[in-house]
Amino acid sequence: MNFKRQLTAVALAIAATSSFAQLVVGVSYDAFQEERWKTDEAAIKAELGKSGAKYIMSDAGASTEKQLSDIDGLIAKGAKVLIILGRDKDAILPAVKKAAQLKIPVIAYDRLFEAPGVTYITFDNKEVGRMTARAILAVKPKGNYAIIKGDPGDANANFLREGQGEVLADAIKKGDVKIVGEEFTSGWNPQNAQKNMEQILTKNGNKVDAVVAQNDGMAGGVVAALTAKGLQGIPVSGQDGDHAALNRVALGTQTVSVWKNSADLGTAAAKAAVELGAGKAVTGAADWAGGEKKVTLKSIFLKPIPVTASNLDVVLKAGYIKKDALCKGVDAAKVAVCK
Amino acid sequence: MNNAFQSIKRAQVDWRMVLMSAVLVVIALVFNILSEGIFMSSENLYNIAQQTAVVGILATVMVLIIVTRHIDLSVGSVMGFVGVLIAYLMYTSNWSWQAASLTGLGVAIAVSMYQGALVAFFRVPAFVVTLGGLMSFRGAAYLVADGKTQPISDPFFLKLGGGYNGGIGTTASWVIGAILCAGLAVAMLNKRRAKKNYGVPTNPIALDIGIVLIPMVIVLGFVAVMNSYQILNKPEAQGIPIPVLIWGAVALFMSFLVHRTRFGRYIFAMGGNPDAAELVGIPVRRVTMLLFLLLAVLTTIAAIVAISRLNAGTNSLGNNAELLVIAATVIGGTALAGGSGTIIGSVLGALIMQCIDSGMLLLDVSIGTRYIVIGQVLIAAVVFDVAYRKWTGEAL
Repeated sequence: MNFKRQLTAVALAIAATSSFAQLVVGVSYDAFQEERWKTDEAAIKAELGKSGAKYIMSDAGASTEKQLSDIDGLIAKGAKVLIILGRDKDAILPAVKKAAQLKIPVIAYDRLFEAPGVTYITFDNKEVGRMTARAILAVKPKGNYAIIKGDPGDANANFLREGQGEVLADAIKKGDVKIVGEEFTSGWNPQNAQKNMEQILTKNGNKVDAVVAQNDGMAGGVVAALTAKGLQGIPVSGQDGDHAALNRVALGTQTVSVWKNSADLGTAAAKAAVELGAGKAVTGAADWAGGEKKVTLKSIFLKPIPVTASNLDVVLKAGYIKKDALCKGVDAAKVAVCK
Repeated sequence: MNNAFQSIKRAQVDWRMVLMSAVLVVIALVFNILSEGIFMSSENLYNIAQQTAVVGILATVMVLIIVTRHIDLSVGSVMGFVGVLIAYLMYTSNWSWQAASLTGLGVAIAVSMYQGALVAFFRVPAFVVTLGGLMSFRGAAYLVADGKTQPISDPFFLKLGGGYNGGIGTTASWVIGAILCAGLAVAMLNKRRAKKNYGVPTNPIALDIGIVLIPMVIVLGFVAVMNSYQILNKPEAQGIPIPVLIWGAVALFMSFLVHRTRFGRYIFAMGGNPDAAELVGIPVRRVTMLLFLLLAVLTTIAAIVAISRLNAGTNSLGNNAELLVIAATVIGGTALAGGSGTIIGSVLGALIMQCIDSGMLLLDVSIGTRYIVIGQVLIAAVVFDVAYRKWTGEAL
């Protein structure tokens, strides 16, 4: 079904490009020097290439003001659809309004900004939280849990905690799961997470059965604290798909790393851009008004992938990590993907 | 009565240190009561000793930097940079830990010589040079491995940060304790003999015995506590953790430099009055460069302990460490105006800070409150310092 839809979309896009001028898609990055956007860009380019659309880009170099003039520039160069990775969710709005007046569809990429008519494509952060907790609950349905949260100043730490709370609520109510320690970690710093974990262990006489950590870096600090007490191997969660964390999943010292494949995000945005450029509705987009201004947007929330020992091959197949990095120090006889 | 007071005054006991130790003991007792005995458990004291080591190592050299009226804001970033580099060479480039650590040391020295030269020869304020370094070397830490975490697995190297096999065992711990006690006794005997030879009145023998016995009891008590900590299901007890041993060795070495070498005298002379120091022919530039060299060595040691303790080098390694290090130094009684400060003070300062932080963690105090408290402790320490200086200025 989905495939059929894609096919029609591609067919339409090809029809559009052959009968009219070539579709130009402009992408405005806020700070392209960050490594991850290169993955996104490659995916966007590849997907646009498939439907014969042209890719143009601009890099605001982490400047809110420059991003506004960047967008003017993209429009002047003939962009008929804009994909915007907004630097500032409010400062970007004049540019979005201008595009709307010119009837140029805008996609809010990865980060939210709210204006009528915008299509919002991102990963579902609450779902990331749910996935971390779900994976731990699956291997340790009963016991003492510790929760290592991210920086208190980052809204994502709370989104993640909400998702984790939803999943754990029933088990806590039944008395199966008891939260024996919960700490914020300043700056998401692994060293601080290690200290927090050491104190949680000491406070509870080392009776901690599972740790829900909110990202892979902190999971690394948690595993170091556990290893120092000979407790490595109890379930620990994380997210980001850090290479070191995937290696720990293969080694068995971390249970799950929730992985957001940014190539998926790029592909989805490029597909949506092609559909919007052809004047069609975006496949799979639904109404959503969960932002702080409660503006109703067409949104696509991509599902991240929880990577555990049983599906480690997904990161290899996606070319996201090389086998020697994934399997460093791993007993190849025990882990299938490392054979 | 008056006579006894006079002799105590003449004994040159460092009352600031005595008071700080008392504060530390009070803090420990209060947390112990509030945590129903967990705080003073051998496990928690072992935790705290290890958690303090990295900041403690850096604080010993920060004392000298601040004494010479400079500051180093880049110490956390440089430690992160060097740490990630060493981890990267071991993990990604498959170097031996020795080669990686020596390369790390080389890079740290290059960085420090660059910053030191700007301070010593170009007279750029250290605050500015190292503020730039704070940002630049954090960036460099990111670039080394593209922000990717570099795990460490070499079993020997991992011992340097403590961890499961990172204690030296009970026998070795007692031996070290005994050597330190013997050293304290010999030092005191030498001091008494020297005073006699120069015709300086010696302290009453009871007072001197007390002055030696107290640190002895602390040393042996510390060894006993570390020896009584046993990890669950591990056959033997831990003993002194290697990072703490490194910290102790560094502190002893630095104390030796301060009290027994010309370099140490120069440092304090330069801090006390830079113009006079230059006029009397102290090679100010060379001493400053040497100080930055020392800084590079200790930053590398701290970086090695930090990555080994975390079992990984990450680009956030040592984030904000400069603030903790400077705070420990200041709480330890080093005057930001320069000219005065002690190594042992920095040790106590670092311990006080970590005890408060770890103690509050045990009590589940929220992160916001923890920061408020630690910030106010810093201010209280400086207020005390100012008051103490005023008081001694009048009284002595």
